[in-house]
Amino acid sequence: MNSAAVFAFTCPVKTNSGNKALENLPVELAGLNAVNPLVVANARAVGPKAVRTLMSAFGDSGMTLGLFEGVTEATDLGVVDHLKNICLEKKYDAFIALGGGKAADVAKVLNLAVSLKTPDARRLLPEAPVRKRLLPLVVVAAAGADGLETSQLACLSRMVFSSEWLAPALAVLDPRLARAKNGIQMAATGLAALGRAVESHISADQNPFRKAYSFAAIRFVRENLLSAVADPGNRKAALAVLNSAAMSGCAFSNAASGRLHKLGQVFYDLLGIPQGVIMGMGLPLVLGDALREGRYDLAALFQPLAGDDAFAQTPAEKRPEAALAMLNRFLEDLRSVLGKELPKSLREAGVPGYRKEEILDVLGQDEDGPYLRGVVERMADGERERKG
Amino acid sequence: MSIIKDVQSGRKPLKRAYVAIFLWFTGRAIQAAAKVDREVKKEFEKLPENFTFSLGCLPDGPWMVVGREKGVVKYLGGDSRGRPVQVRLAIKSLDAGFLILSFQESTTLATARNRLITDGEIPYALAIIRILDIVEVYLLPKLIASLAVKRYPSWWTPARKFGGRIGVYARTLLGI
Repeated sequence: MNSAAVFAFTCPVKTNSGNKALENLPVELAGLNAVNPLVVANARAVGPKAVRTLMSAFGDSGMTLGLFEGVTEATDLGVVDHLKNICLEKKYDAFIALGGGKAADVAKVLNLAVSLKTPDARRLLPEAPVRKRLLPLVVVAAAGADGLETSQLACLSRMVFSSEWLAPALAVLDPRLARAKNGIQMAATGLAALGRAVESHISADQNPFRKAYSFAAIRFVRENLLSAVADPGNRKAALAVLNSAAMSGCAFSNAASGRLHKLGQVFYDLLGIPQGVIMGMGLPLVLGDALREGRYDLAALFQPLAGDDAFAQTPAEKRPEAALAMLNRFLEDLRSVLGKELPKSLREAGVPGYRKEEILDVLGQDEDGPYLRGVVERMADGERERKG
Repeated sequence: MSIIKDVQSGRKPLKRAYVAIFLWFTGRAIQAAAKVDREVKKEFEKLPENFTFSLGCLPDGPWMVVGREKGVVKYLGGDSRGRPVQVRLAIKSLDAGFLILSFQESTTLATARNRLITDGEIPYALAIIRILDIVEVYLLPKLIASLAVKRYPSWWTPARKFGGRIGVYARTLLGI
């Protein structure tokens, strides 16, 4: 394996995964010197049963928990400021984010505001450096996770906060919470994990630690996503997909922000379309371009996607094309299970033309803007390969 | 009204009662087995004088405390306060304790799944696990004991197994 002479890798996330993993929470919190945690949840997204399951895991612990289950897609820094004041008054000493997406983002930014005792959370700026260790944050991943829960990023009010200290101290993955409402929710989780893991894996700056995470994330998705999508009640496969999402977040935190991630994030922020759906749409286009440009190490994708035997049997010079073909076949298999539920184009996803223009405007401000705008134009009609 | 609700963690009385009764009975059975079984006796003889160990669930019990006093192994109840404990085997939660003690998971599998914390010397902890395995073979029918121990001792003679079982049960019930 080629690796750069100098590299850095940080992953402060401890992972508890498997049967009854939630029940370890009281002991784990005690280990983090926390006795009075606040649970932050999007009850509508995860469902009341998930909240009950989490609360029952604290049975016999003698703890009193705060519960805020009112996170919505509209939750902004104003709500965070209100929550911060209550947290400081009630002296909560840890945060538990239940579910992925917005709940994890709100918990991270709330942790930042409470730990720094920010006078007004509405004035928090992503540029302001965080130089202090924050209170312990636990992420309890549930169906609908996107992998960013375990990352060092938090996106709120169209601002992206980034700091090593924002990453959770603990990620809990329990099969009871892994069951998705439907196949498309599971596919979105898996594709978001796959997209970020792939970008981290082929990134130009080599980092063996990061590759260990991204390799495992890609292989977990490859081996389990189809089963999990075909049968959302398959707890083993669903848990494996949640694991891959958690690993992709750790890998992604140590890589430069990729093109697929940017696409997914913009569509999620502006239109609420799950990031995985957009990343699945853009994956063949972005990797196809990468293959033509020869900028990225696409051959590295072949082993986690195809397995060790196929990797050994394929000549090195054919591995980039083989990896891309395998990825395209995987996406086709996924579409054959989900049918129209997994859109091939922005039109099928129901994105109207005027919203597309809005997306293009936002992407135009990015350093990869011209390229990403081109990808969006090609995604609009579902073009799979650049013609000519 | 605050947007944050305070929720008091509930109780799990049935699981707690099951684990407490199991630990109480096993504690007495260890005391009995130390008198009946040569292998258990030998394991205890290798441990230091006044050696005490506890097994139970975090964060709030129940616990089982067993100690060796003047060469005699004794079940010392469920409270270790006031006694120095050399080895503490702590199961991370009551639910994990229930999984292990209802034989849904063997001790070795539970250890592999990170459900146990050992506070003390590892060789002593391993001796305790070996003793627990022998006691479980005496107390439980083969079908259930096979789930609880790493390897069921098929090489035991019927005399040792059935004779020992009668001795362990009788002494456990009588508390001698």
